[in-house]
Amino acid sequence: MDAIFVFEQLLNGLGYGLMLFLIAAGLTLVFGIMDTMNLAHGSLYMAGAYVAARVHEASASFALAVLAAVLVTVAVAALLEVLVIRRLYRRDHLVQVLATFGIILIADDAVKAIWGVAPLMASTPAALAGPVQLAEGLPYPSYRLLLIAAGLLVALGLYLLVNKTRIGMLVRAGASNRQMAEFMGVRVGTVFAFVFALGAGLAALAGALMAPISSVQIGMGEAILIPALVVIVIGGIGSIRGAFVAALLVGLVDTAGRAFLPLALRAVLPPSVAADLGPALAGIAMYVLMAAVLTLKPAGLFPARA
Amino acid sequence: MNRPASDSSRVAATTGAAAVAEHPHQPFAVRFPGFARRLPWLVLAILALFPLLAPTFGLEYYVGFVRRLLIVAIAASSLNFILGYGGMAALGHAGFIGVGAYTVVALVEAGFSSAWLAWGGALVVAGLSAALIGAVSLRTRGVYFIMITLAFAQMLYYLAVSLRTYGGDDGYGLYTPLEMGVWLDGVHPDVFYWVVLVIAALVFACFSRVAHSRYGHALRGIRDNETRMVALGYPVYRLKLAGFIAAGAVAGLAGGLLASHNAFVSPAMMHWTQSALLLVMVMLGGLGRRWGAPLGVALWLVLEETLKMHTDYWHWPLGVLLLLAVFHAPQGLAALSERREGGR
Amino acid sequence: MSLFVAEGLVKRFGGLLATDHVDLAVERGEIHALIGPNGAGKSTLVNLISGLLPADAGRIVLDGVDLTALAPHQRVHHGLARCFQITSVFRNDSVRDNLLLAVQAQAGSSFRCLRRREAETALMDAALALADRTGLAAVLERPAGVLPHGMQKRLDLALALAAHPRLLLLDEPMAGMGPEDSVQMIELIGRLRSETAILLIEHDMDAVFRLADRISVLVYGRVLTSGDAAHVKGHAEVQSVYLGTEAHA
Repeated sequence: MDAIFVFEQLLNGLGYGLMLFLIAAGLTLVFGIMDTMNLAHGSLYMAGAYVAARVHEASASFALAVLAAVLVTVAVAALLEVLVIRRLYRRDHLVQVLATFGIILIADDAVKAIWGVAPLMASTPAALAGPVQLAEGLPYPSYRLLLIAAGLLVALGLYLLVNKTRIGMLVRAGASNRQMAEFMGVRVGTVFAFVFALGAGLAALAGALMAPISSVQIGMGEAILIPALVVIVIGGIGSIRGAFVAALLVGLVDTAGRAFLPLALRAVLPPSVAADLGPALAGIAMYVLMAAVLTLKPAGLFPARA
Repeated sequence: MNRPASDSSRVAATTGAAAVAEHPHQPFAVRFPGFARRLPWLVLAILALFPLLAPTFGLEYYVGFVRRLLIVAIAASSLNFILGYGGMAALGHAGFIGVGAYTVVALVEAGFSSAWLAWGGALVVAGLSAALIGAVSLRTRGVYFIMITLAFAQMLYYLAVSLRTYGGDDGYGLYTPLEMGVWLDGVHPDVFYWVVLVIAALVFACFSRVAHSRYGHALRGIRDNETRMVALGYPVYRLKLAGFIAAGAVAGLAGGLLASHNAFVSPAMMHWTQSALLLVMVMLGGLGRRWGAPLGVALWLVLEETLKMHTDYWHWPLGVLLLLAVFHAPQGLAALSERREGGR
Repeated sequence: MSLFVAEGLVKRFGGLLATDHVDLAVERGEIHALIGPNGAGKSTLVNLISGLLPADAGRIVLDGVDLTALAPHQRVHHGLARCFQITSVFRNDSVRDNLLLAVQAQAGSSFRCLRRREAETALMDAALALADRTGLAAVLERPAGVLPHGMQKRLDLALALAAHPRLLLLDEPMAGMGPEDSVQMIELIGRLRSETAILLIEHDMDAVFRLADRISVLVYGRVLTSGDAAHVKGHAEVQSVYLGTEAHA
């Protein structure tokens, strides 16, 4: 295990963490502001991935593919908000679980009907297919660098949007105290719709960017949803800053766990046991992290509500 | 082809009425107390006769289906117990099913072949896991409880994936059926069906009984007003933990039975969507209602089975059903007929 | 020795000192009123004594037994019961079921899970006796949530009485009541004097002066003074910080 391998894994973790952040940001806002548990958030991520993969294949333009993914998903999300989500805001969490689970079922079938059952192979944009020489003896896939850059850029944009703009102020007001915000005359319905669309756009962006390095298939939304939920719980529900920190934490812990735990175990345990235990512990790492954080800080690292 | 659906709608219509029997002021039970009391026995009799009558109607295939339905109903009843009566929204219940199933695998792998030992082991080991998981999880509230139970189930999932001795991701086949003893094995091809039916009936009767006991009343009190229960002197945490352990154990038993039913066990049994599905079925049937769990399971599985026969796209109608339920029958199926009766 | 003693109770919420080293004693057979302006920390104090909020420092002793380390439900079994300012009953259950639940907490184990509760005549008798004592016998079958406010308050009190308390904490039992209900409640509390000591938080000064043997005044989380009605009425500081503001309100 040399320094280069470690550095490479850290970069991978950073990239994964940033993508998780894009997904978790919308989820945490919807949860924090509207008190709505949206299991179907992962389906929006899936939609982004599918649209991007198909448009990229058809047009050969990656930029166009990403743009189309975001626009289409936002449009779908807006429709979803009007038809279903809007009517769930004041309902019980369990009812929200029921309804949004229903949406997952519908979304999975819709994707199957449109794009078929077989996983899509999304290609990396040709210009970014090769590695970049980051340092002597350290080649790193240039596409993964793009992922990191895009993630950081969006995080910065989101930070500015939430902290420096009027709409951001309304969003924060809604997250920390909805009743007060309503009392102050904030048009909560409009803010909700905006936030939901924003979250959908970010999830679609993550889906589009992740498509070339993961398999685009039905069920990918359900698979990414759980880590994203773990992120928002660790970060503190409703907190963008918390989601950012927690996403990087989870990204690093998960990647590091997969890369280093089997190696570390092999050093201290018999190989057969280590081979069994390594992947299990790596998969479990982020949940242990969550349990630890909740034990110490029951409302997450950065509680949005006082 | 229509048969399962019409069966289920008849069950739905009649069992819904039985739920009324729980509330003495409801008119139906007042007018037909005898019928409402006898209804569970009627349902049991129909289910018991089903394997004997099925060949006459060409429904042999559905004996296995009903057996699975009964097993899932056992698991759903246990979730209904802690969620509906106890207000504990656990989103990791499939984890206990998995623990039960893998306990059976472990015992088989270790050379044991007794079904009773395997299922009993599933019950005990799942109960122990529930004790550990509950002891930690029940210190949290609301969404955090949902998330932490989910997290523990995910841990169990990855644990199963990593157990290469038991097939890892690919699962584990149980090639020889477990032995239920000389009195049962080989007596009739459907003997396992009746064993499952008896266990399901016992579990259902137990939960119904407990619901009216001191413990059941205390559990509902905690669901409705936890702070007040503390101020009345109830050991709320221990009461909840006891319920959580019982539910986990029963789910484990269902897992053990499911392992026998499928002759196969895999980590997919404990995927989080399975936990969500269980929750969905219970809510669809009616949270905290006596007949909620079996009704929800019957409705869901019968629809799934019927839809699968006609189309590859069988998910979306179920999704639409959930949305309809959320907006038009939020109290669940078991409550629908009650409300109609009450409104008269 | 006093029946109940609280010593040096402290509770902080962030930077706010909500309870500031409070010492309080309640004698046997005494109705001890706790008054003070809004935000003085009266409800916080009741929550600390009943254990629903953990205290940051201090000690609670009832009848010589130190309850400080006990969980709230264990304190109930040592004879410390309470009511709630915001009426806390089981709204969907009948009055009878409410009372049964309260009685059940005191009589044997609630882990019993096979016998039907309806078959336990001892429980039922105790619940009916409680209903008689608190004037709820006529509404036994009504859901608690649909009762008039005054009745709900009385039910809240009845639930606490089921514990056979030696010290009863009443957090504004007259809150939101009309004059008629208030009179009934005052009468009911007066009758309880023979069976339990009472720590009474109340804004209705008329009720306080009619019921209380002793009055403590809480201001900014501190006990300003303690004494009988005449002492408190004559206390200059009390007049300025409390009765003064009340008179303006």
